[in-house]
Amino acid sequence: MAQNEVPTFKLVLVGDGGTGKTTFVKRHLSGEFEKKYLATVGVDVHPITFQTSHGAICFNTWDTAGQEKFGGLRDGYYIQGQCAIIMFDVTSRITYKNVPNWHRDLVRVCENIPIVLCGNKVDVKERKVKAKAITFHRKKNLQYYDISAKSNFNFEKPFLWLARKLVGDPNLQFTAAPALQPPTAQVDPTLMEQYKKELDLAAAQPLPDDDDDM
Amino acid sequence: MADQEKQTKPTVEEQNATPKDTKEEVDASPDVHFEPVIRLAKVEVKTLEEDEDVVFKMRAKLYRFDKAGSEWKERGTGEMKLLQHHDSHLVRVLMRREKTFKICANHLITDDMTLSPNIGSDRSWVWNVAADISDGEPQQELLAIRFANSENAQLFKTKFDLARESNAKVRNGEPHQDLAEPKKEDDEQSDDKPKADQEKKAEENATKE
Repeated sequence: MAQNEVPTFKLVLVGDGGTGKTTFVKRHLSGEFEKKYLATVGVDVHPITFQTSHGAICFNTWDTAGQEKFGGLRDGYYIQGQCAIIMFDVTSRITYKNVPNWHRDLVRVCENIPIVLCGNKVDVKERKVKAKAITFHRKKNLQYYDISAKSNFNFEKPFLWLARKLVGDPNLQFTAAPALQPPTAQVDPTLMEQYKKELDLAAAQPLPDDDDDM
Repeated sequence: MADQEKQTKPTVEEQNATPKDTKEEVDASPDVHFEPVIRLAKVEVKTLEEDEDVVFKMRAKLYRFDKAGSEWKERGTGEMKLLQHHDSHLVRVLMRREKTFKICANHLITDDMTLSPNIGSDRSWVWNVAADISDGEPQQELLAIRFANSENAQLFKTKFDLARESNAKVRNGEPHQDLAEPKKEDDEQSDDKPKADQEKKAEENATKE
């Protein structure tokens, strides 16, 4: 595939530590939901690609450290950002209180770029930042979404909104990526033996007992 | 923004719409214009499922085994499909995630593939894939699938086993078998309705305070 021809945008992802930025990115990359918290140091850059009604597009996502002590370059990460997501945690008031600081730092470097404000973890019953208390997006012309990286609620919306703004078409949709025909693999018998052993091991490991939405 | 969403096709948007009866809603976002960074024309995208018949289709949750951490990790929730090709007559497993439609499983059903139960579950199966191409390059994966209940899981196993036998025959040059049920007019709708309901329920839970 001609990956290099895919239109690519730099997306800056900021917000307090522990609000779920890296988990959100991983959810989009591999489908997994990471429960463990491992603070991001500096920045991790991940290409997140979507098939759309206007062709494939890619968000080069700069997943930045939320914790002050792991912050690193800060302004350097924001340079030439073309769009951004500011994340907070609706179960932690302080993370919403800090949103104006993240916003100020961001727009000091990136003027007039489309920005989505995301209130993450709305699946948690004890919500602390009530819907009516969320007003910052109206003052600063941001798009707002309640999201949950855990339940996938609205998890595609931030990217969809940004894609529509960057491409300038409010009707842009995500579409099914072409599913190529898989190859008929020739597997070496010794390798097959190994796979069998691994399968037995995996079968004895129970699947995560997560809240099932089936 | 609300107006823009109304214009769009219902497929993605309706599923994701915030329930209207939520009492506490965040104030609507202002509709602000940004100068587009790039102009892209609409394009016709092929799913490459056009030349295949649906042998099986049901909503399920897929996992992959992470060997390094020795744990199952979520891979995606969406429709698990078994598709039989018109020309090769081979059946493949194809699954896409809901909402983003990204591929999370794409491989042929081969002789060595058996669905084994996962410990302590009567609605899940695990199997080994030598060459799954959902991320592009062929990759070995240990996959697990979980259905809503054991009846659905059994249904999947029946079709999967039939597909394996059929694929083996095709490879041996024996006459193939059409595994897809003859199409009914209202097939699509009856399949999608319960899904939409479940989706709504899941979202109501997510927005509950």
